[in-house]
Amino acid sequence: MTTEFSRRDMFRFAAVGLGGVAFAGALAGCSGDGSGGSSGGGSGAPTNFSFASWGMSEEATKPTLGAAIDAFAKKKDVKIKTPSYDYNDYLNQMTLQVRGGQFAGAAQLDVAWASGFAALGKLKDLSSVASGRGYTSAALKAGQVDGKQIGLPWTIAAIGLITNTEILEKAKISKPATTIDEFEDQLRSLKGLGGGMIPYAASTKAAQLKDILVWMQTFGSPLIDGKKCTIGDDESVKAVTWYKKLYDDGLIAPDVDRAAARTLFAQGKTAIYDDAPVGKAGVVQSSPDKDLASKMSSMARPVLADGDTPVEVLWGHLVTVVDGDGADTAAQFAQWLTSDEKQTLSYFSKLGLPPTTKKALASSAVADDTFVSDFTKRVTANASAEPLWKFPQYGQMETEIADQVQAVLIGKASPKDAMKAAGEAVQKLMDA
Amino acid sequence: MTTTDVRPGVHPPQPTADSSGDRGNRGSRLSDKSFIFFLLLPGLVLLLAIVLYPLVRSLVSAFFKESLIYPGMTFVGFDNILDALGDDFAPLLGQTLIFTIGSTVLSFVLGMALALVLNQSFRGRGVLRGAFLIPWLVPGVVVSFLWMWIFDGNYGVLNGVLQQLHLIDHPIAWLFNTDAARGALIIAKSWNSFPWMMVMLLAGLQTVPVELHEAAAMDGAGSIRRFFTVTWPHVRGIAGLVVLLEFIWNFQHFDTIFVLTGGGPAGTTQTFATEVYDTAFKGYDLGHAGALGLLWMVLLMILVVVYVTFSERGEKSATAEKSERAVKKEKTR
Repeated sequence: MTTEFSRRDMFRFAAVGLGGVAFAGALAGCSGDGSGGSSGGGSGAPTNFSFASWGMSEEATKPTLGAAIDAFAKKKDVKIKTPSYDYNDYLNQMTLQVRGGQFAGAAQLDVAWASGFAALGKLKDLSSVASGRGYTSAALKAGQVDGKQIGLPWTIAAIGLITNTEILEKAKISKPATTIDEFEDQLRSLKGLGGGMIPYAASTKAAQLKDILVWMQTFGSPLIDGKKCTIGDDESVKAVTWYKKLYDDGLIAPDVDRAAARTLFAQGKTAIYDDAPVGKAGVVQSSPDKDLASKMSSMARPVLADGDTPVEVLWGHLVTVVDGDGADTAAQFAQWLTSDEKQTLSYFSKLGLPPTTKKALASSAVADDTFVSDFTKRVTANASAEPLWKFPQYGQMETEIADQVQAVLIGKASPKDAMKAAGEAVQKLMDA
Repeated sequence: MTTTDVRPGVHPPQPTADSSGDRGNRGSRLSDKSFIFFLLLPGLVLLLAIVLYPLVRSLVSAFFKESLIYPGMTFVGFDNILDALGDDFAPLLGQTLIFTIGSTVLSFVLGMALALVLNQSFRGRGVLRGAFLIPWLVPGVVVSFLWMWIFDGNYGVLNGVLQQLHLIDHPIAWLFNTDAARGALIIAKSWNSFPWMMVMLLAGLQTVPVELHEAAAMDGAGSIRRFFTVTWPHVRGIAGLVVLLEFIWNFQHFDTIFVLTGGGPAGTTQTFATEVYDTAFKGYDLGHAGALGLLWMVLLMILVVVYVTFSERGEKSATAEKSERAVKKEKTR
């Protein structure tokens, strides 16, 4: 038996099909982002929301963060969607989604990205949920842009030099260097240990070559002076010349980014690398040395001349809330995640992420952790925000500088020419 | 009843001379033109929504100062295009061409060599034909990560093997050297795309009549001579087409470069694809990204014109060859 269709029949079927699609679309449109939450206005019953993070895409943090999300969802009887992206892609993905109105809810944010993300104009002012929660003033400040509390501080620390005390002792280094000259001498002693030792796993890959900026500051370049980019000045050129010397002498290695540095440190192939305290958990977990945790310490960044104050760069995570469906419950979640004492201390004990409230910081759990308390005293105490962070085009500025520093390292350009080019490129982006 | 039987082999009623639109029965039947339009409509809507609109939108951006994060746009005429054509354009074009030509040539050579081998009759040929397709089935990003671990300077497989063989004393930072990084990209991309070349060329090789090879061999032609005088004339057309298509694809390729080198070291492996991405999504500068995209598209259009001309010429020569053969056959009779 065959069925015969007229063209009119086909039209009818198509019309029914299209109608169905339109109806489904209308239903989907009514349900917002699909989380099923009601509109974000008011402070009524808790609603479903989304929490975007890179933490949920990293093996080291996923179980702990996932448990925290589940606990809040259970407590409030809501569903939390958890879109996650790799750290290096996270900002782009979130920028596109927020700009396109595809995302509403809570979102993890690096403190370095706060200005750019705030420029999208979709972030909720969290001043009301921040007040009375006992955050330290420095932590609260890290989440402010133009006086608006665009994010709640989740963890605040710094990027500092992490050391392996056992390897340092093997190289007969009893006290970490305080000046750059001493530091270089110590790196040479470490190199002398042989066995393919990379004395200092400094970043040389473009993705994390932003680490060079703190060395430029150490050499005396302010990076930004008013509306002028100072990269290209004598100090920044000296910093890059020194970096190139370390590279040529094998004291730092090519092809190293944060992930590679952590791996090298975990394998005992490097004695010093740059990281925030958050890196410790992953390093210890992946190391064949079961006692590595007890050997990990930190040192203040060496200074140019004795008596100078070490320059350290702030590091931290915020939780922001993008206005829209479920935003009110998302704000409550942000508040709970970042300031509930039980939650923040549990997070600290599992991942080593320093909390941001005075009470949690004063607790015995934090105070008794030698690694974190030493890091706080030696590194975080002198940490400040990177001057370039205030520009939304910060990502592109980093790339421009990284490309030029790489050009110096591979011998394609002189430090002077490269830094001049980098400074001009950054200035152009500042003026854009 | 006015139904149209759409079963294969059953022809619909022919329209009368004065009723191509079936004017006499307009209420119940569709004209052929309307029917064709109706069938094309979903495709056209999709084309407009996901190809034409984004394309036009990004081209329009080229003439405006527009940011990804700030609202609003200001007309700047040709400023963005002139800026994109500045000092960085020639190196970018050069780098794109090095990657494109290198990857195309290497995958063609590999594809052709394997196609010639797999066109021979031997045991296990079928298994090998399937096995060589595997690299093509692996997603580009996975391939890129695979090669990233192979070429890694600190704990890469390649350095490990070379050190085991005592060929090198210290690890080499392959991706931190301009030439080696370019080579690594070309190898990774070619590894991913040679199977496609191989399959197409193998199909071409199978159209070469065996009798011609036998006759040439009887006349004393060696294998190299037979390749150039018998095989190549038969596969030249398809080889040209696959090379051209591969060239166009490599010219727009993104994922291998993005994952493996990220355009580094020092931007020396940056191509149009990665540069447009960086400008738009790191610098948030849609205007400059649009201008670069526009120039990139113009270059691609030239390649597309070459492709269309080439394939039309191929079709014409195939038709001419066919009719020539038919005439000869007729004369022989």
